[in-house]
Amino acid sequence: MPPEDGATAGVPSGEPPGRGAEGAEAPLAVELRGITKRFPGVVANKDIELRVRRGEVHAIVGENGAGKSTLMKTLYGMHRPDEGQILLHGREVHFRSPGDAIAAGIGMVHQHFMLADNFTVLENVVLGSEPTKGGRLDRGEARRRIREISDAYALGLDPDAMVEDLGVGDRQRVEIAKVLYRGATTLILDEPTAVLVPQEVDELFGNLAELKREGLTVIFISHKLDEVRKVADSITVIRRGTTVGTADPETTSSRELAEMMVGAELPSPETRTSTVRDTPVLELHGVTVAGAGGRPLVDAVELTVREGEVVGIAGVEGNGQSELIDAVMGLRDVATGTVVLGGEDISAWSTRARREAGLGFIPEDRHRQGMLLDASLWENRILGHQTRPPAVKGPFIDRRGARADTERIMREYDVRAPGPDTLAVALSGGNQQKLIVGREMSAQPRLLLAAHPTRGVDVGAQAVIWGLLKDARAAGLGILLVSADLDELIGLSDTLHVMLRGRLVATLDPTTVTPEELGGHMTGGRTTAGAA
Amino acid sequence: MSVLRRIVAALAAPLLAIVAAIVISGLVMAVLGVDPFEVFAVMLDFGDTPSQQVTALVVILNRAIPLFISGLAVAIAFRMGLFNIGVEGQYRLATVMAAAVGAAVVLPGPLHVLLIVVVAMAVAAIWAGIVAVLKVTRGVSEVISSIMLNFIALGIASFLLTGPFRGSPEGASIISTAEIPESGWMPGLNGVFDLFGLANPPRQLYGFLVVAALLGVAIAILLNRTRFGFDLRATGLSPSAARASGVDARGMVVKTMLLSGAVAGLIGIPDLLGTTHSYTTDFTAGLGFLGIAVALLGRNNPAGIAFAALLFAFLDRALVPLQIADFPSSVVTIIQGVIVLAVVISNEVARRVALRAAERRSAQAGPAPVASDGSAGPGQTTDGGGAGTGAGVDPTTGAGRQTDERQGTGA
Repeated sequence: MPPEDGATAGVPSGEPPGRGAEGAEAPLAVELRGITKRFPGVVANKDIELRVRRGEVHAIVGENGAGKSTLMKTLYGMHRPDEGQILLHGREVHFRSPGDAIAAGIGMVHQHFMLADNFTVLENVVLGSEPTKGGRLDRGEARRRIREISDAYALGLDPDAMVEDLGVGDRQRVEIAKVLYRGATTLILDEPTAVLVPQEVDELFGNLAELKREGLTVIFISHKLDEVRKVADSITVIRRGTTVGTADPETTSSRELAEMMVGAELPSPETRTSTVRDTPVLELHGVTVAGAGGRPLVDAVELTVREGEVVGIAGVEGNGQSELIDAVMGLRDVATGTVVLGGEDISAWSTRARREAGLGFIPEDRHRQGMLLDASLWENRILGHQTRPPAVKGPFIDRRGARADTERIMREYDVRAPGPDTLAVALSGGNQQKLIVGREMSAQPRLLLAAHPTRGVDVGAQAVIWGLLKDARAAGLGILLVSADLDELIGLSDTLHVMLRGRLVATLDPTTVTPEELGGHMTGGRTTAGAA
Repeated sequence: MSVLRRIVAALAAPLLAIVAAIVISGLVMAVLGVDPFEVFAVMLDFGDTPSQQVTALVVILNRAIPLFISGLAVAIAFRMGLFNIGVEGQYRLATVMAAAVGAAVVLPGPLHVLLIVVVAMAVAAIWAGIVAVLKVTRGVSEVISSIMLNFIALGIASFLLTGPFRGSPEGASIISTAEIPESGWMPGLNGVFDLFGLANPPRQLYGFLVVAALLGVAIAILLNRTRFGFDLRATGLSPSAARASGVDARGMVVKTMLLSGAVAGLIGIPDLLGTTHSYTTDFTAGLGFLGIAVALLGRNNPAGIAFAALLFAFLDRALVPLQIADFPSSVVTIIQGVIVLAVVISNEVARRVALRAAERRSAQAGPAPVASDGSAGPGQTTDGGGAGTGAGVDPTTGAGRQTDERQGTGA
């Protein structure tokens, strides 16, 4: 079922700018039509439309988990799409393996380098496609070709240097050389700047310009909007697994891109009648979590969550939100400061004791921290509640009780699954998340830590989960909400803090703040409370 | 229907593996110029007289008991995602210590036996505990440290046997510890044969069979029905999720290794209490490594481990008749090795099949329209059958890779 050309698929997108006329005559290096990829439990990509012109740097932006990497793996032949077409230079292709993709001139530079440290640059570059002479590695030929590539694209590589002696930027250039050595004309760079310091980023952009000058096509995946605008010739935005539009970096602001990324136009449940009571349930006093490089990951955070209050924490990902949640859960040591739950200092308590004392937890990565994927739903019902009824009787697991309560959760929280014996892995992301929310709510917590509670779930489940959180708040539950979805934060929160580099740098009133202002605070552009 | 499906699904993979192993090892034998049918005939020939046949059964059961215990010890750790490769050293060291302590004291019957058992369990648990402590304090991989500790344990056991614990006279060809007095022996179960009107063979069926069976039941309950077992399995399935659920990961490593070690300590006890009554230089070796294969074949499930132990014991018994019939005894080793490989492969295949089936069923339930949510639920509840097979397979297959290497050196 080929979708009509130029349609922005599915989601009611705000603006699809920059789409149209030029596509007709310019030959497209890569075109994806209606790509859909399902994994057990999630639809990772849905109706993806992508048009990359020859000789341009094309950025694909989207939040973490939006489906960028899945899409690139499809294009690189690491898995096959369930639906849709891939066209290279106008011809449809079917990749059965990365080998096919490489043969077709597509190269991938992975986010995590895939280099053998104890090999030289030369050995790493030729590994897997060695030039041979009489059955032996032809080092002379290899060295000549690597020099050629290095000179042509100004990569500045020494073929005989050991990889373990190279810096991160050089290693990345080795990766790029590897791809070019195999004759790639279209390069996919997966979050290439994530590991680089600013100077290295500039060097990389220099290299990309060289590649472009030589007529190569670069697909650049990122969620750093400023970089994308600096380097890209055109931009495609992905949200929730589908393309929501394209943008011209010349005319689109970072803010507009951000709105497209997080979907500012999605309706957010308004919860304006305040249910905040006086009693604090969670107090954080000067909570500091030490970091590896000396700078603390969480820096002297002061925070109070009262009964019936949703306290939102906004911030660009990686600014200490995850670590803060871990610290409150007892999964990470607090260097200094105290965590007080309902008047009791729980700083030294184990995670289990904290859970028993009334902490509920919706983790940001449900597959890693929230579920046992290869276990049944009723066993997942027990997870995190191993010490409390109805799942257990004394030291024993109460299978019947757990099954019955799982059925109740499935009914009340609209978890769609064949039954409590189904494996968790077989559920869609939204249903998994509803099960987790139902499970955590069933234990009557006093405080709920909700990290990205609607990430990666479909719009229907999102509305259900928002409704559940609102009801719980009205019933007196305190909620600490971390999210990357600005509308979710503004819509649900009673108090909104902004976290930047481990510190709470601003406290905002969600009734008056706009996503634009919030975004400004998150990137440190705006300051209120004296943050440098 | 659903129960039947579950049983079939659970048995399909190991049965398939065994059939494949028989076919493949038959082919290998044919290539080596040995008639596989004759070999299998010798293996299945339990003798002509009733007494011989019952003796063969007793030999198989007596060998199966320690293999079963060894499989349990390995499986406990496997279920948590820990590879206790050190079972071999744990039981050997435990047995020599228990033999020495047992020989040194005289106590009333049951107490004497109990003391020997407790010493064996304690020694092996402590030895396994070293692995756990290294892992939680220094982050040392339990695979490495438990293999290393095997060598140390075997060395210590030899030293103790030839040095302080030696009870055999100077110059004896087989060095042994002093014999445990009769109060520390465990009576056989041969009365059972009379009960069923079978021939009473000269060989005694180990009384420890009862203990092993109870142990199997206890461990099955512990793993599947208790909170501790849940924590253990959860940690095996996803360490990060278990930790977020409140499981103390370090504590679990220590507890699980102690438990695995304590069970490992019992491996040498059936032989020690039943026949040898002392630890000798030719005390049965290699049970710890075989236990890994047994646990794998039994899919880390006590009932499955019992079957696997019986199968391996059956193969083991065939060694002597094969040699008498002038066949190379290495065919047994070949069969064992091929079974392990086949099990690893078939477990992975079964896991994928189960996953596909689960996905398909979920996909049927999935696209139900938003409004009619209830309809998808109860009607399909019985279909959850395949679920049971998928759970717990993952650590098994992971373990397989380890085992292949060990089989090479161990067997």
